Amino acid sequence: MPLVIFVDDSETALASTRMVTNSMPIEVKQYTEAQVALAEIKAGLTPDLIITDLNMPVMNGFEFLKGLREVPATKRTPTLMLTTETKPELKQQGKALGLTGWIVKPFNPAQLKSAITRVLRLPA
Amino acid sequence: MIMLDSIDELLTHIKEVQLDVIELSNESLMKMSSFMEKNGLEIDEDISTALQYQDIITQQLTATIDAIESAKTSLDIFSHAYKSDEGLANESISKLKEKLNLTLQEAKDKKSRFSGKSAESSVDDEIEFF
Repeated sequence: MPLVIFVDDSETALASTRMVTNSMPIEVKQYTEAQVALAEIKAGLTPDLIITDLNMPVMNGFEFLKGLREVPATKRTPTLMLTTETKPELKQQGKALGLTGWIVKPFNPAQLKSAITRVLRLPA
Repeated sequence: MIMLDSIDELLTHIKEVQLDVIELSNESLMKMSSFMEKNGLEIDEDISTALQYQDIITQQLTATIDAIESAKTSLDIFSHAYKSDEGLANESISKLKEKLNLTLQEAKDKKSRFSGKSAESSVDDEIEFF
């Protein structure tokens, strides 16, 4: 099963995504700290899709994304930003860093499922 | 300066109450979500939105806690300057006003940034792919 990584410093945000994805044919790993997720990726974890928050303490979503792009295995791994931020300049910044897409919180469960299905090319 | 001490105490109290609210709302939502997960309950759009509001509440309150911390630091600097040299008071008041205004602007900016779709009905529900 494809591995999807969620990174969000909010436990409740992670619980929301977990409840949406638990019926999908994917394996999910969740992290409340981006630096921990990045360390595991550097140690050999190879996700098929990464969904991350932007505003997080210690390492924010953009810093995490930059780190991901420095690891050969995740240089091109599809990555979605899941955030409350709506500013176009931030979206542009994300796009320049190789972000796949931008989802504004609170997300719609059906659309999150559809985005994961589309990016991972899962059977609809 | 007694007045500044009172303001400082009041700000500390507000910050503590906000931290308690964050903790309680988080605990409340985690209990609810763990009940739903344990019983295999599916969430619909409304429940999902309700769960995600907790995250927004936390971010909003954390932003105001940051503003309180910043205001407390500015008041503290002013208070020390005033106590060491009353002649510096006027200059310090101007600096304090400037710093408090900056704190307010940053707090307002965060309020808008951390609301997501909950505050902007114009934000499209579609996921934007690049």
